[in-house]
Formats: sequence, C-alpha cells, structure tokens
Amino acid sequence: MSIVRWKPLIHQLPLVRNPSLSLREQPKRYIRCCPKNPSLSSSAGFVLGSKPDSGRNLRPIVEAKAAQSPPLSQETDLISSEQFTVNRIKKTYGKVSVKLERRCGYEARWMLEVSCDLVGKWILHWGVSYCDNQAEWDQPPPEMIPPGSTVIKDYAIESPLNARSEGQSESAVQIEIDGDTPIGAINFVLKEEETGRWYHNKGRDFRVPLRGSSEDEITLSMKQSVSIWPEAFDQISNMLRKHEESDPAPAPILEDNSDTSSKKPIIAFHEDYTVIKEEPVQNSMTVTVRKSDKSSDKNIVDVDTDIPGHVVLHWGVYMNESKNWHVPPPPYPPATKVLRKSALQTLLEKKSLGLGNRGSFALNKEVKGLVFVLKLDEYTWVNNMGKDFVVPIENSTSGHEEKIEEKPGTVSSTDKSVDTGAAPYTENLISGIRNLVDDISSHKNKAQKTNEEQDNILHEIEKLVVEAYRIFKNSSVVEKPDKSVDDTSTTPTQLVVSSGTGNGHEILCQGFNWESHKSGRWYHELGEKAKLLAELGFSIVWLPPPTESVSPEGYMPTDLYNLNSKYGNIEELKDIVHKFREVGIKVLGDVVLNHRCATSCSENGIWNIFGGRLNWDARAIVADDPHFQGKGNKSSGDNFHAAPNIDHSQEFVRTDIKEWLCYLRKEVGYDGWRLDFVRGFWGGYVKDYLEASQPYFAVGEYWDSLSYTYGEMDYNQNAHRQRIIDWINATNGTAGAFDVTTKGILHSVLERCEYWRLSDEKAKPPGVLGWWPSRAVTFIENHDTGSTQGHWRFPAGKEMQGYAYILTHPGTPSVFFDHVFCFQEEIRRLISLRLRKKIHCRSTVKILKAEKDVYAAEIDGKVAMKIGPGFYEPERGPKNWTVAAEGADYKVWEAS
Amino acid sequence: MEVSLSGPKVIVAKLKDSKVKRLGFSAPGFGYSGSNFVDLGRKCRVNWVGLKAIRAQVAVEKNNAPFRKEKVQSQTPVELLVGLPLDTVSKSNTINHEKAISAGLRALKLLGAYGVELPVFWAVVQPNSPHEFDWSAYLAVADMARCAGLRLRVSLNLNGCHRPNVMFPGWVLQAAETDPDILFKDKSGALHKDCLSFAVDELPVLQGRKPVDVFESLFRSFSSTFKDYFGSTITEITVSLGANGELRYPSFPPTTDSEFTSVGEFQCYDKYTLSQLKQAAESAGNPLWGLGGPHDASKYDESPNNSNFFKDHGGSWNTPYGNFFLSWYSQQLLHHGDRLLSIASNVFGDLPVQLSAKVPLLHHWHEMSSRPAELTAGFYNCAERDGYDAVTEMFAKYNCMMIIPGMDELGSNPESLLHQIKQACEKHGVQVSGENSALVKQGTDNFGKIKENVQAGLKTFTYQRMGADFFSPEHWPLFREFVRGMERSQLDADDLPEGNGGGVSLSADSEAGNNREMQAA
Repeated sequence: MSIVRWKPLIHQLPLVRNPSLSLREQPKRYIRCCPKNPSLSSSAGFVLGSKPDSGRNLRPIVEAKAAQSPPLSQETDLISSEQFTVNRIKKTYGKVSVKLERRCGYEARWMLEVSCDLVGKWILHWGVSYCDNQAEWDQPPPEMIPPGSTVIKDYAIESPLNARSEGQSESAVQIEIDGDTPIGAINFVLKEEETGRWYHNKGRDFRVPLRGSSEDEITLSMKQSVSIWPEAFDQISNMLRKHEESDPAPAPILEDNSDTSSKKPIIAFHEDYTVIKEEPVQNSMTVTVRKSDKSSDKNIVDVDTDIPGHVVLHWGVYMNESKNWHVPPPPYPPATKVLRKSALQTLLEKKSLGLGNRGSFALNKEVKGLVFVLKLDEYTWVNNMGKDFVVPIENSTSGHEEKIEEKPGTVSSTDKSVDTGAAPYTENLISGIRNLVDDISSHKNKAQKTNEEQDNILHEIEKLVVEAYRIFKNSSVVEKPDKSVDDTSTTPTQLVVSSGTGNGHEILCQGFNWESHKSGRWYHELGEKAKLLAELGFSIVWLPPPTESVSPEGYMPTDLYNLNSKYGNIEELKDIVHKFREVGIKVLGDVVLNHRCATSCSENGIWNIFGGRLNWDARAIVADDPHFQGKGNKSSGDNFHAAPNIDHSQEFVRTDIKEWLCYLRKEVGYDGWRLDFVRGFWGGYVKDYLEASQPYFAVGEYWDSLSYTYGEMDYNQNAHRQRIIDWINATNGTAGAFDVTTKGILHSVLERCEYWRLSDEKAKPPGVLGWWPSRAVTFIENHDTGSTQGHWRFPAGKEMQGYAYILTHPGTPSVFFDHVFCFQEEIRRLISLRLRKKIHCRSTVKILKAEKDVYAAEIDGKVAMKIGPGFYEPERGPKNWTVAAEGADYKVWEAS
Repeated sequence: MEVSLSGPKVIVAKLKDSKVKRLGFSAPGFGYSGSNFVDLGRKCRVNWVGLKAIRAQVAVEKNNAPFRKEKVQSQTPVELLVGLPLDTVSKSNTINHEKAISAGLRALKLLGAYGVELPVFWAVVQPNSPHEFDWSAYLAVADMARCAGLRLRVSLNLNGCHRPNVMFPGWVLQAAETDPDILFKDKSGALHKDCLSFAVDELPVLQGRKPVDVFESLFRSFSSTFKDYFGSTITEITVSLGANGELRYPSFPPTTDSEFTSVGEFQCYDKYTLSQLKQAAESAGNPLWGLGGPHDASKYDESPNNSNFFKDHGGSWNTPYGNFFLSWYSQQLLHHGDRLLSIASNVFGDLPVQLSAKVPLLHHWHEMSSRPAELTAGFYNCAERDGYDAVTEMFAKYNCMMIIPGMDELGSNPESLLHQIKQACEKHGVQVSGENSALVKQGTDNFGKIKENVQAGLKTFTYQRMGADFFSPEHWPLFREFVRGMERSQLDADDLPEGNGGGVSLSADSEAGNNREMQAA
C-alpha cells in the first residue's frame, strides 16, 4: 500500500521557469512489474537468500528525518508504514545578464541593465568607482540611483530588480548613465532577499567597465568572462555562489568614437553569467510493509516518494539486529545493479506525470528489515539524519517485545497504544541499554561490534547530555559562573577545534619593533626576555616575518622557504620558538601573503619571476597591477603597490601557500599567524589557509581609514568596523582582526578629550570589540603606527589610558613591544588583574559614564575602570571595590 | 537478555549481563573490592528525564557466568570520575537539579566513567548543633549513583566554600562571633570565615568541644549512615585538611577562593596561633621572633620580587629567622593534617574504602628560589629544601592516597612541581590521583596535558565538574572526545573496531546470529 504525501507548498518545481535538477541522466531502465494491488500499478518481487555479506557505509550528503507515520487502520494486511521527510538541495540554473547600451533616442545617455531570469527577490547591491583600476566602491550621483533603491552603507546602493511584466519570473533593473560621467566602472553583487544569499562573481564583485581605456582593458574583461573555476566555491558552505559561463560572451563592441568629449567613450558591454540557485527542498518518502496476499512467506515493501527525476534505491537487507548490510544472491529485480557484493541499486519507477518515483519489493520472512539510502545523482545521496533508512519488517506473530527489540528508533503505526511523545524516547533508552549489553556480550567476536552500535550508544549519550544541559542551564538554583554568552554568533565556530582564536583568555605581545632587525640577532635577544614576558602574563608572542626579504624588516618577502632573515637564521628561530614554548607562550608567525617580491626579470624586463622553492611566474600575479604585468586574475582585494600582488585565485598558488603554512607550523613550530595586509585579498582564501594550517590563534591586519568629516573624526564608525567584520566573516570567523576602529577612536578621545566617543549609539564599545569581541584583537600601537616609523602614533603620554582600556575590556589585547618596557610595572598590574579576574575576550562591558572628560565601565561585574581626568568612583554597595591599579588619568578597581 | 513491555508506560528490562565495559578507564568487570553481587536483585526506579511520567524499572543483575577473558595490560587503567556540582545538595538539605544529575549520571555511565565525586559540606550535615546530623539528601545522591552503576568518591569538606556560598554551620559561626580568633586571621586583621585556625584543633572552642572531636563524630556518623554503601558504591573518602579542602593555609585573600594566583600572605595572626608562635620562638631561644609573621613579606597581590622576604637574592626567607618561621609555620600545617588523618584512618580504616586527601599544586611563582606561593600556603619547599617529603611521609603513615589538582595546567612550573611531588610519593609509596583545576573550554592542549598526566600513572582522575558548562555544546564534545581518545589509546588490538565497511567473516556472522537466537529464547 503506498501512501503519497504531497508537499506542494515546498515543492516549487512548477514555478521555476528554467528548472533543471542536477540529476545525472541515467539509462532508462524500469522495474518490470506485475499488478499486485489495485492502488499500486505494479510491483516487482524477488526472493532473498540467506547467505549475507557485509555492507558498506555510505556517506550521503543529504539528510532526512523520520516523521510520524500516518494511521492506516483500514488496511488489514498492513504491517507497518513509515513516512520519512527527505531534505535535499534543489539546484536551479539561471542567467544573469548584464547589458550596457546606448539609450534609444538619446545620444549621450546610456543604460545599464542587470537582469536575472530566476525566481526570487533579487537585489542589486552596487557602487561605482571613479578610477579605473581600483575596486573601490563609491556612492553614485543621486540622479543615477533608480527609484526604490536604498542606501545601505555610505558606499553602496541596493536596488531591487523588478519583474519585467506581471507573472514573469525574469526581473531586471536599469541604471541610467550620463555619457559624460567621470565614473570608470560599476561594481555590483547580487542578493536574493528571500534566502539572504549573496551571489558574487568568483568571490569578487561583478564589474562593468564603462570605458575601455586600451586594448588591455578589453582583453581583461574577456579573460574574466572565460576563466571560471566553480570548484573554488565548493568549500564555501554558507553562501552558495556558483557561476559558470553559459555562452561565450560576445566580445565587447567598440562604439564609434562619436563622442566629442575629452573622455574616452563609453563602450557597450554585454555579458551573461550562469547562476545556480540552490535551495533546500523537502520531499517525503513513504515505506509501507504489508503481507503478501499470494504466499504467506513473503512481505511486500512499497517505496513511494515525491522526489522528481531519477531516484535510485541503494539498498540491502539485514537478517539480525546488527543491521549489517547484506545482499541476497540472485535473482535480482530488473533495473538492479550489484555493487561489489555490498549493496544493490535499483532504479525506481517513475510515476505518471513525472511527479515522483516508486518501487515495490517482495522480501521473504527471514529478512528482518530493509536498509537503504537514496541516490539522486553521482554526487547526491539522501540519508536519514546521517544514518541509513531502516525499515524493520516484522512478522504478524511478533508482539510488542520483539518489536522493541528489533526496531529501536522507529515507530510503527500499529503500535498505537504507546504514548507518542514518550515512546520513541523510551525505546531508545531500552535500545541503548540493549545495544550496550549486546556490545559486551559479543565477547567472542569483537569484530562483530560495529560502528553502528557504538553510534547508538553515543547517540543515547548525547540525548541525555542535552537534557542535562537544558535543566542545569535553566536551574535558577545554580550560581552561574561568571561567563557571558552574548557572543552567540561565534558559538558554532567555537566547536571547531581550531577556531583560530585561542582559549579566549589570551594576551598578546608584539615581540619586535621597526628597529629590531638592526642587531642581526633579534631572536637571540628576544629569547632572553621570554621568561619575563611569561611572568608578566603574556600567553602569545608575535614574532617578526621570518623569511628572506628585500627590506630588512621582512615585509617584502622573496623566497618563502628561506627562513634566514635579518632577525636571525632558521636555527635561531626554532630556538626562540622553543624557548617561548617552554615558558608556556604560544608563538605567532608574521606571514605576508598579499605580495611577494620577484627575484628576476621576465624577457620584457618586468620583475615578475619568483625565485626559491616556489618558482612562480607572472601567472601568480594579479592582472590589475600594471607595474608587474601579472597574468593571473584580477585582485580580490586592494593592491599593495610596492610589490607584485599574489593572485590567490590561482589554485597552484593556494596549494603552495597552504603547504608553506603547514611547513612553518611543523618545521618552525609556530602556533598561529599574524596575517599581513589582508585587505589585499579575499577573506575566503584566508579561511582556506587557516583550515589547512589549523592555527591555535590567527589575527589579520585589516587597516583602512576611519571616516572623517572636515578633518574631524565621525562619532559613528560603524562603517569602518563593519568592513573589518566583513573580512572576519569572509574568513568564516577562523581569524580575528586587529581592532583598528578602537585605536582610531581612542586617538580622538585622548587627543581632544572627548571620552563620550567611547560609547556607541547603543551604549556599547564603538570599536570592533563592541560588535564581535571574540574576534577583536585590540591594540594601541604596532611597528607601523608607532616605533620609529610613526605612521599613526598613539597620543604621547596617554598610552597607559589606552592600555587601561584594552586590558580591562573584552577582545584579545595586544601590547606593543616598546610599551612592555616603557610601562612595565603598570602593564604588569593591569595584566595581572585581567588574569586574576578572568576577564576574557567575551566578557561583558557595562558602560557607566561616557562624558566629555571621563569614561567609566564595569566589566563582568568584577572590574571597574575609568579613564580621563574627570571624576568617577565605583558605588559603594553590595560589592566591595578595591583599587587594583592607577596612574595618570586612569584608575582600575576590582570587586572583592 | 529480556526486554518486555509490561504496560504502555512501564518497561521492564532485565539484563542478564550487566557487565558494562568501561570505555578505556578501567578493566572490564567490576574492579572494586568486595562482593561480586552488587545490586543483586535490587530494583531501582529511575525517573527518565524528559518523559512524561514514564518510569522504567531496570533490574540489574550481576552476571553469574565465570569471568571472561581478562585483558593483560601493562598498567591498571586509570579510573575516571566526574565531580558532581558543588551545590548538588542545597543548604536546606535538598537535591538541586536532580533530573539533570540523573541524566548526567546515565550519560557518564554510558560513556564509560568509573564514578562521580560528591562534595559533602559540614554546614549541610550539621546545620544546627554539633549533636545532630542530617545526611538525607546525600543519601539520596548516593542512591542515584548506585542506581546508575557508578562508584562514589565522597569529599568531606570541613571548611566553607564561596561558590556555592556554603559557609560553616551556624553554630560554628556563632562561636566565631564570640571568639573571632578561632578563625584564621591575616596580617591586616581580616578573618577567613571559612577556615578554622589550626591552632584551635585541640581547644574546646565549639560549644565546649574540640574541633577534632567534632570532626571525629562527624566521620563516625557518616560511617554508620552509609555503611551499606562502602566498598560497593562508595569506594573512596576524601578528607579536607585545610582551606579549600586541601592541605594548606588559606593564604589567599579572605574573600576570594582557589582561583587566586598571586603569592598570598602568611596566616598566623589569630591569638591562638600567635601564642603558639611565641612559645616556639622562646624555646628556640629567640623570643623576638615570636612577635608575628615576617614583617617584610609582600601583600596578597604584590610581586614577590619587590619584597624583602621572598626576593631571590638576599631575601630574608633564607636567613636563620626565615628558617625558624617557615619551619614552624609548615610544621603547624603538618600537625593539623596528621591529627585529621589519624582520626579519619581510625574511623574509616577498617572499611573497604580508600582514604584520600588533597594537596594543592601551588605552581605559581615556583620558578623563584623562595617558592613564595608555596611558603604562604604552608609548604616549606625552597630551592634546596624538599617540603613535600614530610607531607608525603604523613600520607604514607595513614595509607592515604594523595589527590593533586591542576592536571590541566600547562607550562614548566606545574610540570616541575608535579614531578617533585610525585617523586616524593613514589619514594614513600603513596598512590597519586589527579584532578583538573578548571573546565577545559577551548583548545586541545589542556586535555592533551591531562591525558599526558593521566597516562603517567595516576590511580584515578576526577574531572571537575558537572554543571551547565560541563554539558554545554562548547564543552561536552571536547570532554567526550577526550574520554574516547583515552579509550582508543587503552584498547587492546582485538577491541579496535573493524574498518568502515570492512568485511565481516561469514562464520563470525552466523555465530552472532546464533547468539542472538539463544538470547531471544
């Protein structure tokens, strides 16, 4: 008896104009059927032998869960029926078309049209760039902004795509462009509002150049359209963005140079991109077991699903409780393949109208159950919440006892007497115990103990643990340990062993300054201070860049595998890492991934041939860096102009970099990374690198300018910190970033005595640490901003106010080398307090005062602090506050 | 095995074989001393958490079958325990979050834990007078552990605790109000309201009774109340020998607890201790030494490098006065420990339980020659003087196991101190068990450290402690993997699971089938 459950609301196929399930075409083989039951058009029967063989575990990627089975009392020969909900990913292919053409009837007006033929609420998220070679985003002039648009950030516009006509799925948006506009290019990405997914062009912006400046520009845009590698995005699980080139794009047509303006003429542009929209779809699947009315020793299993396309049942049977996969001897039903004697694959029969598939099997009575998964195409498997689908088959004579023994975790519809909410749970408990006991009693053949049984126990344990956690958490009796969990966004990543953010209680020391290379034996000199740094309470030290470099400071690397630098040779490096390890300090390596200096010229005199073990050539250099004639793709970030920027979109580059990072981890013993100039390339690559090298801690330098109006820093720096957070997001939270925002704001606060800036509009800290504290690495100075370079020096004489702020606040504080010695005792006291009070990167801040001349805050209710000349004292109350540290214009208290 | 449904809501499972293989932490079978037929026929009711009034009655019977193949292992596997929440029993003598604990016990059992540690507080047992005892809630917890098939290590805390806020019994606090000097007092006169001065051990300060006598009657009451549990469920009794339940002075500031990591101060300023110091100084022939503790020691949070007493070079710790004071100070701690262990071994000596006590791992500042944090806590363990030898000797005298916390501490200090204490234990034949200091919430290094320490020859390891954080999604997976990792490293070759999808031989298969048929019959 087959039960068909339709989920028309979720199943959206008919709505899609151009649907194409990513199912591989299968040879058309159908189960040859003979009529069996009025409601079933056909069923295939075959008898199973008793000589079993073992099965294999499959790792399907799609999951399903068992739903409550429907009551089927009207069927007398029915044994059981079970319905599963099947979740899978539906892929829909569509086309994004970008057209730039002269507006009809207007000589000097142009029109950019972006259209998409996929169903959805599409939003064009766009900006313009005035200079040709930069991927900068700027606000367009107001007359360009189409109606209905919203200004999202101060550099982007969101314009909805409107349906071309009622009921049509294709939608488009038009942007009008003045022929005289100084705009060089329009950049955009697409967002689908219902799913919230972003569609990038290979992880970068789509870019429409308005003017081809030279022959180069045209080839560039051509190149971009052809060189597509979708596989790079398979790793990005959160956002599904895939683009493939459907048709070769017509070459951009050079317009007649009829424009009389001095500017280069606008060039028409047309490109199509393929987008794949992936959305979760819920289907259902019903498995019914009934008695054969022909012969009494057979049971019929009917499988019915509304999954469209080809569905292959990958199945086996089990003869006993171990649920090992067994394959019966031939004969097999039609359209069945035997897979190396471990499973059978049967193509299900298509139902009429193509609205699903079904199949029917006759199994003899010795078979205790059917185990299966579904195969939709070569790459798409459907399983049951990470496990095989299990359909137990009982003989009608068996009672409750046996049922419980034989089918833990499943519910039989005939088992109506059992309280529905509790029954599966109880059965699971029993099965857990039973499995455990089975596990133990099978002493003679331990090999029999399968992973599956262990999984059952573990599953049981997890259930109990969740239960215990829930009660403990809600228990008001418990005096909660001081711990804030407001940082919920990071929770999932914390589960990853290597979240790249340390243990949350880290305190960083930058172990060098701009002059450190001069002695030639820095590793040695710093090594002597290891004990002191440990004693001060630092848990991580950041060492200078270790590689051979054109500049002595190390930031212009050449041969990445040559670890002899002005700071010392490789042996000394290993030695210092060892020394820090010994005193319990982790070591960060400063890795420069954005650029690399070439060691020789190419034939045309351009320095773009790399030396050393990674002998890359121009293909490893981004194409939009005119100085080095790179032959790679365009940069996925900003360019660093002094050296060839590496094209991280090249797979060989990424492979080499990953290998190098792993080498550094293993050979040198680094625990993590400080990543130089990460503005230069897409954060997704960083994620890739961090996943490969599994650092204990990683922090990126994303340093760009804060926003100022007439030379005065804006109060609201949300855009600035958003850019840093965007980067962290792109790394999937695998790395933290230096909190440049906080440093910048502290500058204004201290220079102008404007302590009110330290509370944002929501009364939270205004820097990155206010939004994503666990990923913010707070600092007030580094080798670039201070030291002998002084690019952006912290207000002199106010450093300790800065440290009083960052060392008491959440985020991971970093202390600059010079300051460790200038302010040793004061910093020692603050660090000691931080450790003593267990302030960590997710501690909570309560801002008590943010006025003209004083800022005061309480952290985790354990530490109170104030900076600024104004007055603040913690209130006398239930807590007894004692002064823990004080100095020029700062004071810190601890609750005792 | 039989499983039967005796009604829609009650399931009775009779397990013929309750022999539960502990995943990795101990040998198969019940390794405890005593009866082989524990829980025989005993039915225990377990409230399955989360089920609407569903009760399962599980009758667990011990397998009568002869012992199966014993694994030959070079060393006894470490027994893993998990500490129950400090507030398992509330001040009003009820069980807190009982359902959660019950689910937790089950999960731990399935995971393969050996047992749990139950912290018992004096204030809960004797809230009103030195003559009455109320063990009811603790008995209920012991019952839960027994039903879950877990062993129990009971920690008898004779001191207060800040978290949860369980202080001394009211009548002890009253005594302290009339005579504050029965409590430890620091240099500035602040009192430790959770720790009785060692100097009053044998003075009738508690309603006319000596603290040692009060403790003895407490021990005796415990011993008689729990007599059915010893050997079977309760396998270990831990006696607290000082502040924080450890053998130590409360050298930390009066309002903090063990998380304090600075040097701390000497605690010898109550009048009873001062008078003993005075006597000692006089008999040493230098009465001026008996006027108080070192005047030049650092304050609680100060760096010892800046103090005249502790500084590495020329510090007064290394003078005849320093030697006198530190010897006397550490001797007082030893005497106190000796008194309590003597009582405990007297009371519990004949029971089939292991006696144990905790020694702190005071590794902060261990790198300094003076070892200041150890000095203030009462361990005279300077660069050239082994302060743990005498301590370990005392443990050996009473056949007491030593529990050392801080097995998760990373770095060279903990390592070298631990090494020193363990060496002393080895010398005197004292068994060592371990605990961690804090939940390991992130990173793998701390669990790695625990594993390393555990494998270096601990008798038991107690993971502290159960609670919301313990079961949180941030922590639990790490702990589970730690336990399973231990399992893998301790399994015999034939215990290792077959590779994924690996072929199972036909004979093995059919045999399994037979077994099951027999079981079903």
